[in-house]
Amino acid sequence: MNRRDILRIGGLGLCGVGALDLIQAQAESSANNAKAKQMIVCWLGGGPPHTDMFDLKPDTSEDYRGIFNPIDTKVPGLQVGELLPEMAKRADKYTVIRSVTTMNKPGDHAQAPLYWLTGNPRLTTGSDEYPMYGSVVNKLRPGPADLPTFVVLDEIDVHTHNALSRNFLGSAHSPFVMQPLKDKDAITKMLTPQLELPAFARNTDLLKTLDTRLRRNDTQDEVIAGLDQYQQTAFNLLRSPKLRQALDISKESAESLERFTRNKPSKARYPIGDPLHFLLARRLIEAGVPIVHFNLGYWDWHGENFVAGKQQIPMFDACLAALLDDLDDRGLLDSTIVLALGEMGRKPKIDKPKETNAGRDHWDYAQFVIAAGGGFNRGCVVGATDKHGEQVTDKFYKIESFGRTLYHLLGIDADTLVHTPANRPVKLIVEDAPIIKEAIS
Amino acid sequence: MSRLLIIVALVLLVAPGSTGAADGDSPSYQRHVTALFGKLGCNGGTCHGAVKGQNGFRLSMFSADPAGDHERLTRESRTRRLSLIDPDVSLLLQKGTGKIPHGGGGRFSVGSVEYKILRAWIAAGAVADDIAPSRLKRLNVTPAEQVAQPGETYQVKVEAEFADGSVEDLTAYCVFESLDRAVATVDRAGVVTGVGVGDAGLMVRYRAQPAAARVLVPRPGTNTFPDVQPTNFVDAQVHAKLRRLNLSPAEACDDPTFLRRVHLDVVGELPTPEEVRTFLADSSSEKRAAKIEELVTRPGHADLWTLKFCDLLKGADFGVYADALSKEHDAPRMQAWIRARLAENTPYDVFVERILLATSREGRTMDEYVAEVNSLFEGYAPGRLDLELYARRKTLDLFWQRRGSDGVKGTMQVAHAFLGLRMECAQCHRHPHDNWQQEDLLDFANLFMRVRTVGFSDKNEKQFPDAAAHFKKLNEEAKQLEGDIKQRKEGEGKKLDDDGRKAKQEIDKLTTEIAKLEKAKGDESEIAKQRELLNAAKEVVAEAEKYRQETAALDKRAKLIAEVARRLMQAECRLLPNGENARVTSTLGSRESKTFRLLGESDPVTVSADRDPRELVMEWMRKPDNPYFARAIVNRVWAHYFGRGIIDPPDNLSAFNPATHPELLNALCDGFIENKYDLRWLHRTLLKSRTYQQSSTPAEGAAADRTHYAFFPLRRLPAEVLLDALNSATGTTENMDMKYHHWPETISTVQVPFLPQNKFVSFVLETYGRPQRNAAVQCDCERDGSGSIFHVLTLANHPRVWEKIKDPAGRASKILKTSGDTGSKIEELYLATVSRLPTEAERDACLKFIAGSESPENGFQNVLWSLINTREFLLQH
Repeated sequence: MNRRDILRIGGLGLCGVGALDLIQAQAESSANNAKAKQMIVCWLGGGPPHTDMFDLKPDTSEDYRGIFNPIDTKVPGLQVGELLPEMAKRADKYTVIRSVTTMNKPGDHAQAPLYWLTGNPRLTTGSDEYPMYGSVVNKLRPGPADLPTFVVLDEIDVHTHNALSRNFLGSAHSPFVMQPLKDKDAITKMLTPQLELPAFARNTDLLKTLDTRLRRNDTQDEVIAGLDQYQQTAFNLLRSPKLRQALDISKESAESLERFTRNKPSKARYPIGDPLHFLLARRLIEAGVPIVHFNLGYWDWHGENFVAGKQQIPMFDACLAALLDDLDDRGLLDSTIVLALGEMGRKPKIDKPKETNAGRDHWDYAQFVIAAGGGFNRGCVVGATDKHGEQVTDKFYKIESFGRTLYHLLGIDADTLVHTPANRPVKLIVEDAPIIKEAIS
Repeated sequence: MSRLLIIVALVLLVAPGSTGAADGDSPSYQRHVTALFGKLGCNGGTCHGAVKGQNGFRLSMFSADPAGDHERLTRESRTRRLSLIDPDVSLLLQKGTGKIPHGGGGRFSVGSVEYKILRAWIAAGAVADDIAPSRLKRLNVTPAEQVAQPGETYQVKVEAEFADGSVEDLTAYCVFESLDRAVATVDRAGVVTGVGVGDAGLMVRYRAQPAAARVLVPRPGTNTFPDVQPTNFVDAQVHAKLRRLNLSPAEACDDPTFLRRVHLDVVGELPTPEEVRTFLADSSSEKRAAKIEELVTRPGHADLWTLKFCDLLKGADFGVYADALSKEHDAPRMQAWIRARLAENTPYDVFVERILLATSREGRTMDEYVAEVNSLFEGYAPGRLDLELYARRKTLDLFWQRRGSDGVKGTMQVAHAFLGLRMECAQCHRHPHDNWQQEDLLDFANLFMRVRTVGFSDKNEKQFPDAAAHFKKLNEEAKQLEGDIKQRKEGEGKKLDDDGRKAKQEIDKLTTEIAKLEKAKGDESEIAKQRELLNAAKEVVAEAEKYRQETAALDKRAKLIAEVARRLMQAECRLLPNGENARVTSTLGSRESKTFRLLGESDPVTVSADRDPRELVMEWMRKPDNPYFARAIVNRVWAHYFGRGIIDPPDNLSAFNPATHPELLNALCDGFIENKYDLRWLHRTLLKSRTYQQSSTPAEGAAADRTHYAFFPLRRLPAEVLLDALNSATGTTENMDMKYHHWPETISTVQVPFLPQNKFVSFVLETYGRPQRNAAVQCDCERDGSGSIFHVLTLANHPRVWEKIKDPAGRASKILKTSGDTGSKIEELYLATVSRLPTEAERDACLKFIAGSESPENGFQNVLWSLINTREFLLQH
């Protein structure tokens, strides 16, 4: 029995995380020797076309294979789409998973993102949503005290809102959602001192002098006990230059920036996201932020699949390749998981193949996941799909397996019991499933 | 422990070849083995009780299906689970003891009591005896209540009486849990140990049946209870319990603390500096009572409780598809209706009746109803006249027009909102900590199944011919209008527009001409003639414009009529002559019921076809001995003021979640009913108590108390109140940026019906835990009162907060411009933020800080920053 249990059972500590929680969590984190210390999730919302990118089917008829040809990669036997030349050259850095899918249970934009990003298919009954991996890391294994643990770059869109924002661990474990590339972004400003440091120090001194009341029963209530801890952490974060420096991309050379921006299309059919989020993610990882998530535009290409492909895939190719290079050069790739995935694939059979707005519809039975670093194999392909890329034929795994593999690499037991605010015990990933052993070393 | 040994001894007397019947001489599958699966945790929801079991072995959760469990034990896994020939090699024993690797680890050891019982059962043939004689009649826990010193231990004993009349000591087969382990712990064998001051519920479970007992641990040592005068029966009860616990109540709080506290708790606002000064200067001994009286009748009080009821009733969950309902239209209407009832202090039972029994037509004719819906749509315009109109309705049909308000899910909402019960577990399985089973929920749900499901369906037109007639008529009208509009646009409108365009050119030409003539002092009559032409041209333009506006109005009208038609057809709340049977389908299977039965009653009720079954629910709720209805609201109001319910959590009214002060809760409920469910009586009674008015600083030795009101508990201000307090302290406001939806410019955060466009406001509301107000979550705990680093960062460094502090029209700037010395200006800042005067030391620190600042303005702003970042500002205290 520990104090947390006492409070929880007592009904007082039903919500949130207190000082003691943090201390315990930090102790747990130092005790484990996880392969992955950090993680970047590049979310390709809407569902990128797997048969145009990482699961090509050149032997199918024209109304399936589309217009993009396969090219060889550094890994013998692995081919990718011709719009991914940089990723082809770096195929020895990552694993392509072709056999994890929601099987449409549930699929589609509304529910599949939650499934992928939490490892749980359903909403909990009568409670908020399951927590995303980053929120769990924030609760069980928070990062350095002067940095946020879970950062989401750019706005959370309607489809990932469920998975990323509210969850039953409480708002204390929600991500910092910010848009550092926008001058006026309030959250970025909130994380950067609005005063010069000496003035800030003067203010906090005054605060210390004035804030002397209500300090008698600190130890009795978890919320109250946490106040000082939160204040300390927040002020440390503001005083520390780490985050500010990480977000300041003016320090990057023009050459470095160009590696990310060079394939940015001047005009695009769908939202494309910001290539510099790859760079910011790398800088945040370098600074020590454990989990960074960003949504890279929109890949729901029902119409003009091939037009959009020419616009968005080359940018994705250049950016992800540069990110992998940078992390590897800095020795960070082996301890940082890098994921690129969306909630589904796209239908191998083309809609209106002869027309200019030929598109690919939803496909919830096959897709790709790029997984690099943090214990994922280098130069590896897991699973296979049938002749058309419609159904998984080899090494099928459920999303639960994918989620459990991430937790395994992050050194977190996916069977850890957490409690909903209504005090129902729930495992991080409810259903038991094997980890994807073929993908990890 | 000796009792346990006796049981084991009995168990070991099993004669080989026994039938395994529940005859007391061998372990019975029904009485002992299934109970052990619960006790050892095998059939819990996170182990083999999970939907798909665990590692290929499934048990029904909490032994709901003992026969199926027996089948799986004896038949599956090539019968290796049980070895009748050599019981010790049974997987059940080998895995259970961890001798063979087991995901759940070793649950018991070889040779333990549990081992011996299970082994004996297997050895005797692993037979499943008949359940009938082993159905439970009664579970008796002794001692039901016990006083224990810290460190003292005692044994709890559990006896069961079965259907066959036999009584058996089953202590060894029960699960024990302390509901407050800071007060007492209980081990597997039922031995309770006192830990710290307080009283704790003990939950005992035999198979799926829970039972409860209590343990009270007083503070050791002697203590002189202070000479405090109870104001009313609340204090008498609270003090009586504190005496038993050997704890002293805190001193009464001072006047400024009282004033700030009641303002925030009753009207959700900080007192103004003027209000603080006036109150402090008032020397009347009755001033606190007078202040309470004043505040409970202020509009802000209705606003604050409207917020609470809108949270509870999920008042922003509208609109599915083509039903002409929407959050933007209807959330403010529901809010306005609730607010109107609270402002007129409608008795709570009547308030609930007017929600629960709501229909859209309220007995009126279809024509009258059509007129109402039409006016509501017309009122959705600047000024939102529809709000007042809707608030005048007798019943809140919007409650039944919300998403997910129908069927079993809707029934769970009713149970949660009005009865303080959480039924979601009972959808799929027996509630682990309560008596509710699936049939309880389903039988109760049948009472609501005659309420028509709101939302678009192509069957609606056939099902509701009366509405369909109007639907058709209105759609025809709309179509007709659209035709007219088309005609106007293509015919007369086009002609007028053409003429207008020509006339406009004419106007330009004529204007130039006239100016030229005037300048040249030309012929007066010529000028007059030109002027006439000009006026004629202007008239043509005006006529075209007028015609266009008329067309636009018709256009709007046509769209509105179509909306009215949709709403009548797809969203009218009405009763059906027959409901479908209540049914749940979960991963554990489907189940349905035809029975109508009230919660907790054993006998079903019959409902004639011409009756609204909801009336029976209302009658039942109104019975003075209803165990939930008055209790739920009384306990929730208590929790609002005291940070926790007398039964806590307040939405878990269960016999197995005992009240800390049962007599007090009963007395409050009795008083509430006697006073005709008068909510203001309840508010006044609690607010006037000394217990509410005591200090948040505990008396000596009482700091360890968390549940007995030895002092006023600190709690974080709720999101909306905090933001309004921040606005008031900084002397600023927030524009919600909702003009598009016709929100008034000045609206407090407490009054916000759903998340506004204003990014700062929505950030604060989400970060500080405002509930979503949708049907997904049924739990009072949704309002997150916890702390986080976001909270500190928001108040300390959000750019919008800095703008507020530095606002040239804001608090700091205004105070700076007043006459008076720096000291009195600091006083003013203190009054505006923490609602009290500064101490001398605080004043000096501020003076020194301001003197050392780059400018007085900068100094005041940063003092203001410091004050809004104190605990005193953030917390209710």
